[in-house]
Amino acid sequence: MAYKPQYYPGNTSVAKNRRKHMSDDLEKLRDIADEDLTAILGHRAPGSDYPSTHPPLSEMGEPDDPIREIVEPTPGAAAGDRVRYVQYADSMYNAPATPYFRSYHAAINFRGVDPGTLSGRQVNEMRERDLEEYTKRQSETEITDWGLAGMRGCTVHGHSLRLQEDGVMFDMLDRRRLEGGNIVMDKDQVGVPIDRKVNLGKPISEAEAAKRTSIYRVDNISFRSDKEVVEHVQRVWELRTRYGFQPKA
Amino acid sequence: MAEPRFKKAMETKYAKEWGTNKCGSTAKSKITDKKTKYLRLGYTQNPRKVEMTKCGAAITKKRGLQAYDPKLHLAGIPMGQRQLTPYTISGTDIVCDGDDLHFVNNAAMQQEWDDIRRTCIVGLDLAHETLEKRLGKEVTPETINYYLEVLNHAMPGAAIVQEHMVETHPALVDDCYVKVFTGDETLQDEIDKQFVINIDNEFPAEQAKQIKAGIGKTSWQAVHIPTIVTRTEDGPGTSRWMAMQVGMTFISAYHMCAGEAAVGELAFTAKHAGLVEMSDMIPARRARGPNEPGGLSFGHMADIVQTSRKTPDDPVNVALQTASAASMLYDQIWLGGYMSGGVGFTMYATPAYTNDILDDYVYWGADYAQKKYGKFGSAKATIETVKDIGTEVTLYGIEAYEKYPTTLEDHFGGSQRATVLAIAAGASTAMATGHSNAGLSAWYLSMYLHKEAWGRLGFYGYDLQDQCGATNVFSLGSDEGAIGEVRGANYPNYAMNVGHQGGYTTVVSAAHAGKKDAFCVNPLVKSCFADDLVNFDFADPRGAFGKAALREWDRCAGERAFVIPAK
Repeated sequence: MAYKPQYYPGNTSVAKNRRKHMSDDLEKLRDIADEDLTAILGHRAPGSDYPSTHPPLSEMGEPDDPIREIVEPTPGAAAGDRVRYVQYADSMYNAPATPYFRSYHAAINFRGVDPGTLSGRQVNEMRERDLEEYTKRQSETEITDWGLAGMRGCTVHGHSLRLQEDGVMFDMLDRRRLEGGNIVMDKDQVGVPIDRKVNLGKPISEAEAAKRTSIYRVDNISFRSDKEVVEHVQRVWELRTRYGFQPKA
Repeated sequence: MAEPRFKKAMETKYAKEWGTNKCGSTAKSKITDKKTKYLRLGYTQNPRKVEMTKCGAAITKKRGLQAYDPKLHLAGIPMGQRQLTPYTISGTDIVCDGDDLHFVNNAAMQQEWDDIRRTCIVGLDLAHETLEKRLGKEVTPETINYYLEVLNHAMPGAAIVQEHMVETHPALVDDCYVKVFTGDETLQDEIDKQFVINIDNEFPAEQAKQIKAGIGKTSWQAVHIPTIVTRTEDGPGTSRWMAMQVGMTFISAYHMCAGEAAVGELAFTAKHAGLVEMSDMIPARRARGPNEPGGLSFGHMADIVQTSRKTPDDPVNVALQTASAASMLYDQIWLGGYMSGGVGFTMYATPAYTNDILDDYVYWGADYAQKKYGKFGSAKATIETVKDIGTEVTLYGIEAYEKYPTTLEDHFGGSQRATVLAIAAGASTAMATGHSNAGLSAWYLSMYLHKEAWGRLGFYGYDLQDQCGATNVFSLGSDEGAIGEVRGANYPNYAMNVGHQGGYTTVVSAAHAGKKDAFCVNPLVKSCFADDLVNFDFADPRGAFGKAALREWDRCAGERAFVIPAK
């Protein structure tokens, strides 16, 4: 029998979605042009060269090192790209992603990534061209719904706020909004206006969000109802507690 | 779900007009609505912001240098893109602006910390032994009364044995005084009433009995040096100021030679051997001496709060008032001021004392625990008890946030929610078991459950202490396994994380409040603050914060107005 990763307990749709996020088993929902993603990331002008912080590794004359032979550099590291970031905020009203599962998705499925996990946002730092590849994956697939999520470098808040009347998550900087049935973004992730309106596609319906979400909610799949996950958490807590109590130590 | 305690506060915040925020009209919502209208009215919707803007403009004009101007926020996008809403002080009808809860804008919050920092306790018995055994002096209630009379003249900064001395003006130091307390009922009765913290009068009978048993026949001085001094100096200065005045007073009251060797012994007693400071010195890398907040143990903080002797039959109120005083001090002043600097930390503390959400969860948890396990303090402190109460209270809180989106919006940050849920789980468990570490254990279980339910917790720091915390709750390591009462703001892994220390103090308080204990860890500290003459109201911190937010609280000290030109 072929090995099948089992990343997470639970039998509900929320638990299944968490497993999908962790294993990168994600449905692609939309196409977003590379140049448009570069524009909203806001790190370099679309079409311009990647700024670098060091020469390509192949030109650096690095010392012999078995680890360097074992670990193949990512394309961004090989080229000497800067380390840059992308940060998402996800609504607690059934956005598909949650911060921890964005982090798990990045850390399990991509290399050279430094995830940071907070309550209202999740940031990943990577070499720039690697970051763009990762951002495309997150932006085009079901892990992100642009009505219930936002790319926000700063002034991120919205995840816990009530939704706007049109069902879109609040954004103080109004970086993106619902226009003609699609979410369009005309500022980069830190709120600087860009020279285009990027079409991020149609937001999913409330019913669809309830199916695709990875957050437990009492008005959808309650946390209490997924007994296997609750018991798993209690077991982790109990083992850590008992481990700390070691008279022999 | 019965009508929650936070209903009125949420309606005040989100369904009624405040300033011109139009919450009562254009953006009117029910507190269970998941959607609302965001009006983007900017800062002018809020009267306090308007007042501050006018003031900032006047300062800019007067000094010819830029001052406060909210239009500079985010390159011209001012706060108020959502509705700026008020805060109800929990357990009261006081409604105020968030700005009025920053400690700079709230005189009571400042005085809470001033009153702790300017306080020390010093024993009388060692000094009396020196006087009697070494010098052959007679110590009687009459000499003690005279000594205290002189000391209350001297402690604020007055001279007693020497010519050519300058003195502090009484109008600037009228908050300074010394009282004594003792477990010796005979001595207590013989000291002039003005100087005595009478334990029998200040505590319910059963608590007084516990306090007197803890103190025994020893006698102690509760010293509060002037606020203006502690504001000019620092925490370590408190015992120095006290010891100098105590030493000089002994010389004067007992007619000693100013230079004789016994004076050194009296000074050593006051500065070291008989001294109890409110907090300990912490390591040099954090560079704070005694009587600074970083060394203040949770047990001492819980004992400084006096609600336990005022409402012993309402242990949840005791825990919540402790949560309020401790969160304000540890989050707003210690971590937010001393350690970090800045503005944002106020928001970590406000859930402890505003809008009744924490109150709802803790009262629910205490009720659950009492119904299932009976009298507080009687449940066995086992894994099963902690698992049960910790899980049920956390799930109740999580589901309340989900059913009432306005509560989720009020506690807009995961760090706020994490602490509120963990306090509720921890305090309920501590009350049920009478065991502070069982409460802490429930705290960590709550953090794990919260993280898995919502796929998020607090900021990065919550990953540190809240993921590893379960392992140290019952550790046998001598420091990391300490009981909650003697853990403190500088405890390993607790030292750098906002939003926790006030919560841990609440858990410690709850373990004892449930059993109606007279004190948590130190009867001396509890007795020292059992005194209405202390400026801050340690029996009702929330009330004091609220009155100060309305600019109606008038017990502040340390003002310089008396010696500066009137405006």
